[in-house]
Amino acid sequence: MRKPLNRLRALTAAGAAGALALTAACGGSGGSNDDEITWWHIQNEDPMMSYWDQLSEEWLEESGSDLTFDTQAIENDSFKQRLSVSESADEMPDLFQTWGGGVLAEQAEAGLVRDLTDELDCLDLINPGYLEAYTVDGRVYGVPFDAGAVGFWYNKDLFAEAGIDEIPETWSGFLGVVEDLKAADITPIALGESELWPGHFYWAYLVMRTIGLDALSESAANMEFSDPGFVEAGEHLQDLIELEPFQPGFEAAPYGEGPDSQAAIMGNGDAAMELMGQWAPSVQADSSGTDGLGDSLGFFKFPAVEGGAGDINEILSGGNGFAVGNNAPDEVFDYLCYLFSEENQSRILENADGLFTTVAANPENVLDEVDPHLQLVLDTVAESTGAQLYLDQDYPAAVGETVNEATGGLFLGDIGPEQVVEDINTAWEREQ
Amino acid sequence: MSHVKEAPSGGRDTHPVTAGAARSGRPRGGGFVGLRPPFKTILIFLLPASIVFAIFVLGPVSFSAYTSFFEWNGRGSITEFVGLDNFRRLAGDEIFRGDLFRGGMIILLSLVVQLPFAFGLAMLLHQKFPGRTIFRLIFFVPYVLSEAVTAVLFTLLLSPSRGAVNQFLSAIGFGDVEILWMADRNLVLYTVFAVLCWKYFGFYMILFLAGRQNIPQELYEAAKVDGATAVEQFRRITLPLMGPTVRVTVFLSVIGVVQLFDLVYILTSGGPGHSSETMAITMYDYGFQRNEVGYGSAISIVMFLICLIFALLYQRYVLKRDLQGSVAGAAQSEGRN
Repeated sequence: MRKPLNRLRALTAAGAAGALALTAACGGSGGSNDDEITWWHIQNEDPMMSYWDQLSEEWLEESGSDLTFDTQAIENDSFKQRLSVSESADEMPDLFQTWGGGVLAEQAEAGLVRDLTDELDCLDLINPGYLEAYTVDGRVYGVPFDAGAVGFWYNKDLFAEAGIDEIPETWSGFLGVVEDLKAADITPIALGESELWPGHFYWAYLVMRTIGLDALSESAANMEFSDPGFVEAGEHLQDLIELEPFQPGFEAAPYGEGPDSQAAIMGNGDAAMELMGQWAPSVQADSSGTDGLGDSLGFFKFPAVEGGAGDINEILSGGNGFAVGNNAPDEVFDYLCYLFSEENQSRILENADGLFTTVAANPENVLDEVDPHLQLVLDTVAESTGAQLYLDQDYPAAVGETVNEATGGLFLGDIGPEQVVEDINTAWEREQ
Repeated sequence: MSHVKEAPSGGRDTHPVTAGAARSGRPRGGGFVGLRPPFKTILIFLLPASIVFAIFVLGPVSFSAYTSFFEWNGRGSITEFVGLDNFRRLAGDEIFRGDLFRGGMIILLSLVVQLPFAFGLAMLLHQKFPGRTIFRLIFFVPYVLSEAVTAVLFTLLLSPSRGAVNQFLSAIGFGDVEILWMADRNLVLYTVFAVLCWKYFGFYMILFLAGRQNIPQELYEAAKVDGATAVEQFRRITLPLMGPTVRVTVFLSVIGVVQLFDLVYILTSGGPGHSSETMAITMYDYGFQRNEVGYGSAISIVMFLICLIFALLYQRYVLKRDLQGSVAGAAQSEGRN
């Protein structure tokens, strides 16, 4: 009977056990070795997995550096776990994936990442708008290599089938489109709500449209969501949810894995719309096992709320970037600027095959021909008058998860719009 | 070899008794004392295991206990001492209370459905008939599969529109079946239980089978001579002598439910809206998703205490006879290690 008990103890102490085991198992991998650059990224599939390796080898050759790379391509979720273990052990990798926002800010405050503001002379090659998510108190702690925008991806054929010839620009117009689609017996919206974050896009956008980007940033800075617009936004979302626009079983559907996922349903043409970021077209093709919707796939901006303070050109967005660990050698800065030279930005985009969207200050210098779907996102980004990072990345993890969780409760009909805001405020209070 | 004479029955059973006595640290009867190796030898042999145990079990458990008194986001130093606040918060946490309720439900269902089913199957497979080895093998296969594979398999089988289960139900005449096995919050816990059942009944079946085979055939022959019917034989011989096995399976079943994580996490991630969440998932969510490591530690400590207290009480009051008294019981528990 001892074995199950031992297993239990190991499990219950997972955090600490993990910390110990990892420190023991990969001692020295976290930047303590001076001759080695430890690089953790999350492009754990080709083409990018091998292309990052190729770039690091090229740089070693060109710079004549006698360093070596210990590069690890880690799956998204396990990357987050391993990084939080490294953080508690103060064994940060030298170069690692970041999404910026609250998580990066927490790392910066704990002194776990290096300040890049004066170290990188290539920062001007990146659109300053995209650097905002990686900036804490005016100092830059990360550089993005990918950015984009969340918006509605829609199936033009299904819209035509339902007789919809105009893209909705207001929330009530949008609700009308949903009703038209339902009347035509088409599932209006695909949603993978078991993962919670796909649903949080709706609430975040409605808040942005209702109270405006500035008011949202200010509320987050004050760590309190007291504006009545937060509740109002939830009521707008409730109006949509009450129309039952999602596919049956959306409560248990994932975003991108398997035949019931949001992306697969879109890719198979079984639903008319999804609210998703720049990666949506390629995930639709992958998870449905088809070539995707091709020319039938369109994109429109999240509609404005009538009487709301927000503008239709303010975007909810995010991307991928790199941060530099506190023990990293200075050579990492040279390497980053090698990656961010316009020539290499161009090569990375080409090899990433639609996975990344350009962050260049001058996109025309790095792109010669753009995928039409990507162009839709690029246009939206170019027209944008302001950007908000995904709330679950922007806020401290406990608050971000609460946003996902609470909005998830709204989608399930468990809680009302007031309770959503109350739950989030409780999480904010704990952070103070 | 003096202990052979001391032992209550045949030579085959003596070894487990010795081991059981040594493990509980209580020499039973003078005959065993002379057998104990010198103290130094014991120390040397225990040392490596003790070191590993201290580093990988005691250390992390104490560290978790320590962090559970702090508010800590897993980064930097641990400074914000909050006393018992995390535990107070836990007592009022509806999700955690729900976890306890759901855990209780699964334990209840296991005791009422899974264990009797496995027991019945074991009795059937104890009979001699052609191909019974193959059946034993087939029923044991799910237990060998990894939990992750099982979960992915059932995700595909239970898919609402394309899953084999709904298509099968449609095909055998239930109309156009679109049961939302995992999206319907009133159904999802039973779905999870069904998958757990499928995964683990083979394991319990093998335990019961082993227990049944340990009952000497002579008892049944004697009963037959005395004119006992099959039902009487089952009630008076099989059930009582299977007692130790049953008690151990109940124990494993309860402990297993407290630990339940990977299968449920991959299958439903605890959703929709926590309706299939387990204690371990809640702990993971707070500790690793929300970076509230202090609170997550508090959950893990409570889980640990639940297990520990249950294990101690169960061993003290229920397994007592098996561990100390009957030879068969000692042999059973030894076999589980």
